[in-house]
Amino acid sequence: MSRRTMTATTMAFRDQMRRPLVLGLLILLPAYVIFRSIAITEATPRAVTLPGGAVIASSMKDVHGAVMAGNVIAFVAGLVGVFIMQSALQADRRLVVAGFRPIEAIGARLVIVATATALVVAVSAMVTALSFAVASWVPFVGGLVLIGLIYAAIGALAGAILDKLAATYLILFLALTDLGIVQNPMFGTPHGGAALLPGYGPGRVMVEGAFSQSFHATGDLILGLGWIAGLGILVIAVLRRALGERSG
Amino acid sequence: MSGLTRVSGSFLREQVRAPLNVVLLIAIPVFFVLIFASVLGEFAAALGGDLAEQAATSISAGWAAAFLCGTLAFFALASSRGADRRLALAGLGAWRVVLSRITASLLLGVIVSLVAYLTLLLRSGVEHPLHAAAAIFAFAAIYTGIGALIGALVRDPLSGSLLVVLIFSLDIFSGPAMTSNASLANFTPTRPASNLLIAAGGGQGSPSGDWIGAFGIAAAGIAIALAAFWLTARKRA
Repeated sequence: MSRRTMTATTMAFRDQMRRPLVLGLLILLPAYVIFRSIAITEATPRAVTLPGGAVIASSMKDVHGAVMAGNVIAFVAGLVGVFIMQSALQADRRLVVAGFRPIEAIGARLVIVATATALVVAVSAMVTALSFAVASWVPFVGGLVLIGLIYAAIGALAGAILDKLAATYLILFLALTDLGIVQNPMFGTPHGGAALLPGYGPGRVMVEGAFSQSFHATGDLILGLGWIAGLGILVIAVLRRALGERSG
Repeated sequence: MSGLTRVSGSFLREQVRAPLNVVLLIAIPVFFVLIFASVLGEFAAALGGDLAEQAATSISAGWAAAFLCGTLAFFALASSRGADRRLALAGLGAWRVVLSRITASLLLGVIVSLVAYLTLLLRSGVEHPLHAAAAIFAFAAIYTGIGALIGALVRDPLSGSLLVVLIFSLDIFSGPAMTSNASLANFTPTRPASNLLIAAGGGQGSPSGDWIGAFGIAAAGIAIALAAFWLTARKRA
């Protein structure tokens, strides 16, 4: 990381620390929603099909425990992406005019988005652990990180292209449809067009980690990494263009 | 009066000038009712509620109106505070700005509620359509107040939108659709409106207490929104 990127990152963190309410909400919102939703769910029987094809007997309470973190992370990380990128477009133009290269300013904002996503994932995983026994933590947390980064990138793209209201509605719409319903094993095994949505790969990795001590979701993991790579390149390209054009 | 109508119309156009905003304002209530409602009966049962599918479908229309109106009111207030003060100082007066803002917000609430209501009617029908319409509008009015209040207190868009989501989550997770335990649910803002909507969806009438509660809280929501818009438009010393 160059000295100028370090400076921009430090300033961006200082900017975020001026808004302690954001920090509190990034902790409180996932903690409340996950804890509350697991607590009020009945332990009615539910069969779950894992990525390797095995079918296990579980309960609605456990399935809710396994998937709720992913739902909340998608929505919160998506909003973080929207608003941090919108403020980047407003403020970082001045950095570019002052001599920073667009990639240096973008790098600082990406570090902020990744840190906020990591915080939301950490809180969500810890609160999940209070109410649900995860079978294998590495793939479970890996799935959550992938969900967070994918949705943060989608939020960043939405924030760069749309206004605040439209971007917020779009994240709500996509997160609810994708991880809340289509990929949610509470309503059946995802099939058919489910694989076309961004939450499919990381969602299956998360479910595998939640219920299985072995790992059969390599293809889903590669799919999730592919989404991250593709969206990451798009975010950088869109922001570089936006900052470059504005400073020209 | 015509001046008020003209300014309200301008504020309304300001919110819907982006075509995608209009598309999403229509698509999300339709989405909530058509897609989310198809799984809500099963979801509510898993969460310990005892709703029939039709009643669960009804409540999804109220939730759509609530979330959309809450975020709309938050962004309307958060993005207009500087402009509204200048408009008031330029001669329009704080109260005319406030009345125009609240009229525009309520009109948007009516549009969102209408889309949710019509989708509900077309998807599954409602035995008490007027009860359902009144309850969905109560959800919209209550969240217009909540969103405007957050907009008056919080400037940062990320904090404000997360706060709207947190209050919405507290409300629905403690409401009668999600839990049969009424101890905490008694204190949530949309509980009487939820009772009205669930009863309307299930083909039952509602006690007068729920009507009084729903419209009392909806009126409080509108009053809070008025106060919030006034706080941002008033002249500062």
